[in-house]
Amino acid sequence: MPFSTQSETGDDQYILVANLDNVRNLSNILKAIHFKDHATCFATKNGIKMTVENAKCMQANAFIQAGIFQEYTIKEDSVVFRINLTVLLDCLTMFGTSALPASSTALRMCYMGYGHPVTLFLEEGGVVTVCKIHTQEPEETLDFDFCSTNVINKIILQSEGLREAFAELDMTSEVLQITMSPDKPYFRLSTFGDAGSAHLDYPKDSDLMEAFHCSQTQTNRYKLSLLKPSTKALALSCKVSIRTDNRGFLSLQYMIRNEDGQICFVEYYCCPDENIDETEL
Amino acid sequence: MKCTIPGNNVKVFGRAVHALARISDELWFDPNEKGLALRSVNSSRSAYASVFFSCMFFQHYSRVTIQEPGQGDVQVHFKCKFAMKSILPVFRCLTILERNVEKCNIYTNFNSCRVDFQLFCKHGITKTHNLTFQDCEPLQVVFAKHLCPNVLKVQSRVLSDLMIHFPAYQVEITLAVSPLKVCFMSYVEEVTDSPKVMHTEVHLSPDEFDYFQVGVDSEVTFCLKELRGFLTFAEAVSTSISIHFGMSGKPIAFSIDDMVLEAYFVLATLADAESRASTQRVQAISQTATRLGLKTLFDTTEDDFNDLEKDTKETATCENGRQNENQILLRDISRPLLNKQRENFRVFSEEKTLLPKEGSSSTEEVVASSPRYDKFCSFFFGAVSANEDNFNQTLCSLATASDNEEEYFNNDQLSQTF
Repeated sequence: MPFSTQSETGDDQYILVANLDNVRNLSNILKAIHFKDHATCFATKNGIKMTVENAKCMQANAFIQAGIFQEYTIKEDSVVFRINLTVLLDCLTMFGTSALPASSTALRMCYMGYGHPVTLFLEEGGVVTVCKIHTQEPEETLDFDFCSTNVINKIILQSEGLREAFAELDMTSEVLQITMSPDKPYFRLSTFGDAGSAHLDYPKDSDLMEAFHCSQTQTNRYKLSLLKPSTKALALSCKVSIRTDNRGFLSLQYMIRNEDGQICFVEYYCCPDENIDETEL
Repeated sequence: MKCTIPGNNVKVFGRAVHALARISDELWFDPNEKGLALRSVNSSRSAYASVFFSCMFFQHYSRVTIQEPGQGDVQVHFKCKFAMKSILPVFRCLTILERNVEKCNIYTNFNSCRVDFQLFCKHGITKTHNLTFQDCEPLQVVFAKHLCPNVLKVQSRVLSDLMIHFPAYQVEITLAVSPLKVCFMSYVEEVTDSPKVMHTEVHLSPDEFDYFQVGVDSEVTFCLKELRGFLTFAEAVSTSISIHFGMSGKPIAFSIDDMVLEAYFVLATLADAESRASTQRVQAISQTATRLGLKTLFDTTEDDFNDLEKDTKETATCENGRQNENQILLRDISRPLLNKQRENFRVFSEEKTLLPKEGSSSTEEVVASSPRYDKFCSFFFGAVSANEDNFNQTLCSLATASDNEEEYFNNDQLSQTF
């Protein structure tokens, strides 16, 4: 363990200590939610959750469970702070982002408590860099109240099938319309751009479809500008679960396998766009 | 129109769209009974391209018939224009097209005034693009390539290997030919004689060519961008390409003549000192004529064309022949205009000409500062007529048919309804 020698230097004063042999296991997953400068960090004994929000109708969460870390100690039930995610990522990737196994950077992340900075010790090849990032007053995050019992339609797809679709989305369209239905067209993504409309249909028996549980036809529109950042998570993920509840709220859960083969999750919630023009459906 | 492109040909079709996108930001779909033609003309009218896919290219191809009461099926002469930025996304990623697409359907949806592109991909995924279009008569360049004194035929591979040597920033290249050798070289404007400029020259011996006919030594300079597009397309077809050209200032044509498709790219070349005087005048007249509505062109009778043909055949060299052709054409167009507008022509040509004419020293400075693209000559364009009977009525309208939008509304033809 690269940091074992330093452990005795006053570890007691920290309420949160997390060690990671390969910093990319953290930085990659944080990149998947990096579409705003600031994130709120929640730490419990289960692990760390980072939350980024946009326009009060979209939320992205990255979960880094305690098991991902080589060492994880927390002295309080929950620790909450707000942090500049851009700065945090800059620090985590300070030694570069190359995926060569020989050059993995180790991380020790410590937090002393409210009002204190987050201290990062980054070590690569015997060189240790210490970064202190100011924490900010945590802001209240949105509660989407997305309850699995209210889920009406659920689809699990291999991410590969959606990656190309998201890369080719017509960005002149303001919205992305998602149709999920037990009957044809089963699962349809539509855009309505300057040049006309485009539809992408996935049959339910496609070999990309891991699970298809649709109980009723639902068509909802979501602001494309809000969903576009989820492409970052999609790019890293191997599977994606698409769910909508009875209010039309959308949940996208991305299963991401890190370099050590461990599984992490990134989740996006999005409110539907209210103004659906019935004639265009 | 309704057609189905089999998977292995979707790539070729996609590449054609990409090659045409290098020409202009608009694309014409012009289906006829023999196949489907895609056409593109750039905004300065100095580059034109068409790719014609014969019925054999498609798995299924049919023109639209509409059930008319009492008359049975009636052929609809459908033609349309797309914005390039709307059609390019359909064929955006060529590698994905090649790998994933199993079939492509293209059909017109008259009820909603859209053309539907349906791509059937792997894993059962279906992509449907419903694109709005503009009802617009396509144009065709008026250029008799068979009259060109110089004809080269070469494998597309040879040319694309050769173009790799030119840096990406190279805008124009010069093709110089003599009966003994062929030379492609980078074109650098005289004014920027900076020593930093890299000059590239590639020499080819006539043996490299499948066919080699040089009637007149010449040096033509044209834009590389369009040629690069053409070559990437040609690679997909992997066939030999023909190059037709003459003196500088006259267009150069690159063409592919395959079993299932024909491609035809015509690029303007830079006019040099001698020929510029005449071509600029031609251009000046044509532009003024365009402004004036050009109705007279439609009055041209078949006899005029026959005369024209005779004249061109009689001339000794093709170069002169084509000049004659231009002049005759012009005389026909501008007969009613010439007397009244002569003053205008003068002014116009002086503005456009880089070579100062005698007694025009005052305009010289203005001219020198104008962008060099002015030296490229525009082409003549004719409407592509639906059937040969209408040939004389529609051919050779110098004005773009799309300019007269009102006419379309009056004719109750389809117009774009968004």
